[in-house]
Amino acid sequence: MEVREFRAGVQAWIDEVGESLVPAIEDQSVEAQLNHQRRVQRLLFDAGWMRWGWPTRIGGLGGSPILRAVLGEELTSRALVHTTSWSMHEVLGPAVAEFGRPDLVEDIFPLLLRGEEFWCQGFSEPDAGSDLGSMRTTARPRSDGWVINGEKLWTSWAHHATRCVVLARTGGPGSRGISAFLVDMDTPGVTASPLETMAGVDEFCSTSFVDVEVPAERLLDELDAGWRVAQFILSCERGPIFWQRGAWLAHHLGLLLDPADEEASSALGEAYQLLWAFRATSKSTQDRIPAGDLPGPEASVDKIMIAAADQAVFDLARDLLRGDMETDDSARSQAWRREWAYSRAATIYGGTSEIQKDIVASRLLGLPRSA
Amino acid sequence: MTEAHTIDAAERLLMATTLRGLAEELDGTELNQALDEFGFADLLAEAPRDAVSALFTALGRTGSMSTSLQDVLLQPLAEHLPMAAMECNVVLPGPGISAAAYVGAGERELLAVRGLVIGARPAPTYLAPVAISGELAWIGLQESSGISIRRVGGLDPALAMTEITGVDVAADVIVAGKWAVAAWDAVATAGRLALGYQILGAVGQMIDLAVDHARSRVQFGRPIGSFQAVRNRLADAHVAREGAAAALASAWDADDAVLAGLLAKSLAGRAARIAATQCQQVLAGIGFTAEHPFHRFLARALVLDSVLGSAAELPAVIGARVISAGSVPRLVDL
Repeated sequence: MEVREFRAGVQAWIDEVGESLVPAIEDQSVEAQLNHQRRVQRLLFDAGWMRWGWPTRIGGLGGSPILRAVLGEELTSRALVHTTSWSMHEVLGPAVAEFGRPDLVEDIFPLLLRGEEFWCQGFSEPDAGSDLGSMRTTARPRSDGWVINGEKLWTSWAHHATRCVVLARTGGPGSRGISAFLVDMDTPGVTASPLETMAGVDEFCSTSFVDVEVPAERLLDELDAGWRVAQFILSCERGPIFWQRGAWLAHHLGLLLDPADEEASSALGEAYQLLWAFRATSKSTQDRIPAGDLPGPEASVDKIMIAAADQAVFDLARDLLRGDMETDDSARSQAWRREWAYSRAATIYGGTSEIQKDIVASRLLGLPRSA
Repeated sequence: MTEAHTIDAAERLLMATTLRGLAEELDGTELNQALDEFGFADLLAEAPRDAVSALFTALGRTGSMSTSLQDVLLQPLAEHLPMAAMECNVVLPGPGISAAAYVGAGERELLAVRGLVIGARPAPTYLAPVAISGELAWIGLQESSGISIRRVGGLDPALAMTEITGVDVAADVIVAGKWAVAAWDAVATAGRLALGYQILGAVGQMIDLAVDHARSRVQFGRPIGSFQAVRNRLADAHVAREGAAAALASAWDADDAVLAGLLAKSLAGRAARIAATQCQQVLAGIGFTAEHPFHRFLARALVLDSVLGSAAELPAVIGARVISAGSVPRLVDL
């Protein structure tokens, strides 16, 4: 399947299915968002579009992973799905496909693509944010499996998820003693509690693991290879996910053209050029992925750029939609408020901008390690 | 702006290395001669992207000057001009004029003209885009037209820049009408890309000088490049540079070439400003001295930022285009 043919096909399909793909603005709860996504994913799966770009052995139809970026772009640039929940299968899917036991992956992957399952990511902990390697959650061997104990934080969608990729310590201190597991969320001892955030969405959770028994075959990759799995997952975030988040930002910038007058042209031009700098940079990252190149330290540049563009677009919205963000309670203003608030975290999630700059300094500029 | 001829990666690398070598060794007239012998004009016609990116990056990196910008600016005009005009210099609007303005304005017999020539060829004949009774036209200018020619010192005396001014100049109109507008768009876009590469060459040099300093300069018993405050500054400069470089590379394929050129130039100027500030701070005292080469690249990048729209002027131009288009252009697709 050629990219151009795929894009035209997706666009024609969206036009054909029409209005029913547009989420209702009245209910902005996470439940409504995920229910809508389930429905859209099912339609896309049945029409085949959801399966392109994934290997055939796991229920896909093959083709370049670029096709997934194109699908995400066509959906988020029309706001038919929300970019954060649409990222879910892109964050964890490739790693589970790569490092999971083949028979397990063959069973569960089609469920992920069809929207019947959501997965979540158990990485951060209360005392391990930027310093992920200091995590304390443990996995101890027991008979033919593992027992996990610990607490994870910022596990997006955990309360709606079927499975979780959990990083836990199986060896000594530091990043080398960590392993990755695929844990079923209905296992006794797993409790997900939503966190309230300033964005007013209960997407993030605190998730505790108390004597959670995990079968041996749920280990991803090898024992103590969890850091590699984590790096793989973080680099996947720089792939199709960034491309469709960029399209989501462009969609929101487009909504601001109407309220923008001549006075606003400079601020709008600034936001657009930051978005374009990101898009042009990300394009070369996306182009490298089909060749099997995982985004490396260069993609830290993409992360810094998209975070800057994200905040520029929603800061512009706050300025141009005069007062709406601060004082209006219409559904539309609530949606803007939520997006603006979420954009505050763009320089924090997925590796803070400070961590990314540190990577740029050491790995790309060759500066001596920071003390 | 499509590629008339595709050259492979090995040829491209060899060409870039050769041009970089020439720009390192030679400057001015000698460099012009070497570029003639190298066949730069043919390369520019055959593979403009490769020719422009390689040479202008090299000029920015080395600080050398040639008359090549004139080749680049004249190329879009070639099919509409008499051969004789091809030895002309193209006058660009000077800094301080809004990015949408031209070199002059007025009535046909009473034009006020003010503009700049970068890397002028020896013959004092000029082509300038001017507004005559509000309509864009390309006019020919020479000493007999009653213009004054001043060699510009300014912030970067080594830039080989000439200022052309005149009042009550009689216009020798070469082309007018719709084509004149299209030609200006093409000339300005070609110029923005070439200057963008030259700016980024100078930015690359500023970053390299600051990185070398941060690795070797020891204070408090550690190389200063191990301090996060220093690292963050250089990372910021690098990120700005990469964004501009990607915008320049993508501009050649964009469906709206003019908008892509404006964006690339604006981002290059933005990178120049960020790198100038951050690298100068990292280089501290030594970077402030005349003996250290840093100031030459700072001056070069900032002066080129001011030509054909600066990073302060262009966002408003870009924003106005996007607002009037009524949608956010994707410019390039996967």
